[in-house]
Amino acid sequence: MKKSKHIQLVLITALLASCNTKKETEWSEGNKKVYLRSDSTAPYTRTHSPLLWYFAFRSFGMMNNGRYVHGGYHSNAIHPQSNFGSNGFKSNVSRGGFGRSGFRTGS
Amino acid sequence: MIRINLQPRNAWQQKVEELGFGFHSTEGTYWDESAAYIFKLKEIEAIETATNKIWEMCLEAVQHVIDNKLYTQFAIPSFMIPYIEKSWNDDVPSIYGRLDLGYANGQIKLLEFNADTPTSLYEAGIIQWFWLQEFDAKKDQFNSIHEKLIAYWRYLKPYLHEGILHFSCVKESLEDLTNVEYLRDCAMQAGLETKLIFIDEIGWDSNTQQFVDVEDESIKNIFKLYPWEWLANEAFGQNIVADKNNTHWIEPAWKMLLSNKAILTILWNLFPNHEYLLQTNYIANGMTNYVKKPLLSREGANVSIIKENNLIEETKGEYGEEGFVFQEYMNLENEFGFTALIGSWIIGGEAAGIGIRESKSKITDNTSRFVPHYIEH
Repeated sequence: MKKSKHIQLVLITALLASCNTKKETEWSEGNKKVYLRSDSTAPYTRTHSPLLWYFAFRSFGMMNNGRYVHGGYHSNAIHPQSNFGSNGFKSNVSRGGFGRSGFRTGS
Repeated sequence: MIRINLQPRNAWQQKVEELGFGFHSTEGTYWDESAAYIFKLKEIEAIETATNKIWEMCLEAVQHVIDNKLYTQFAIPSFMIPYIEKSWNDDVPSIYGRLDLGYANGQIKLLEFNADTPTSLYEAGIIQWFWLQEFDAKKDQFNSIHEKLIAYWRYLKPYLHEGILHFSCVKESLEDLTNVEYLRDCAMQAGLETKLIFIDEIGWDSNTQQFVDVEDESIKNIFKLYPWEWLANEAFGQNIVADKNNTHWIEPAWKMLLSNKAILTILWNLFPNHEYLLQTNYIANGMTNYVKKPLLSREGANVSIIKENNLIEETKGEYGEEGFVFQEYMNLENEFGFTALIGSWIIGGEAAGIGIRESKSKITDNTSRFVPHYIEH
């Protein structure tokens, strides 16, 4: 045979499965609860988003003197309390020096 | 190789989305299971043999470019040259690449090599495999991509720097993220500790002269789905060579040579009239039927097809500043009016499977559909 004998995915489908909101009972029964925070100094809260894999943990930041300064991560899928903590920016580290040439790289 | 029409599965969109394939219809139909290509085993074996042979030839071509300092043909920034040579001499790990092959009238020809940032890996390795399981699980497919990825990540583990293997891509593209997360999935199954960071979030610590992630943790190994020519020309480009960690960037910098269309002229000069090659030069050189391609371009942009000295098709784009190559034209249009191109995957230096892109146009671009295949023994 020229094809893979068996295929298991541990990351992509597992995340999608854990974020499936169609079976509401699963949440209320206390199964597959997902608690998330986007900042290690923020509290965890429960999460209910079917597209968490892609949309959660988008970064936020700001331009400062022409350079991108990373502020942290946020997600509309998780509670605002879990998006922002008390971390400050690290002074020796600059960001945004890569990533300006294109929005997709497919070839 | 023949093409058949099929009835798509009921709720196929939901089925592929459950596999994490969210861009099946991003710009019109992309994943197209209303058709399939059927190969005989001997045809697949011919593609496999060609893929392995072309890979060998490509490695010889890289050595030739380095030995003879032919970098000006590749429009590579001079500061990157010692770094490219070091990455080659140090044998910095490479995981994958995709040869785009023309296949017609029993001939297999290299059209180009997506050696640095190939995509459609998830469609080829996962989506069409699961499609076949449902269509007819007893049928075979040229597709050992998944098991080869896991096996090769496992093999590479001792060759990586100690610590985390980061994975990076742009944050605006679900397609890119899916490809990267799939590779990360395989690396995790191979026992590697991994972490995702978007490309614009990579930090440079000016005190310690190293790249860091968003938690300011050192980046020592990183798979990046982001072209080398972009990395090198951006603000942090010079930092790559100044990096105290000597980070392993995967794909390695020497892939800059193979992903550049100039390698097609090198191959033709090294192996003239080889059965797997099309004549390719920096000038049309008397050819009347040829394809003009930029040295650096993506998704079929800025490509022109000339037949009998007449322009018959071209694509727009922003590439071409670095120059062009002129490649003999190979007609890939089948009896159904589709142009089908075979993307032949190399994983860990071995042929690993194929994915087929087809379109009504003669130039395969980002709107070309991915059509599954199987082998009829």
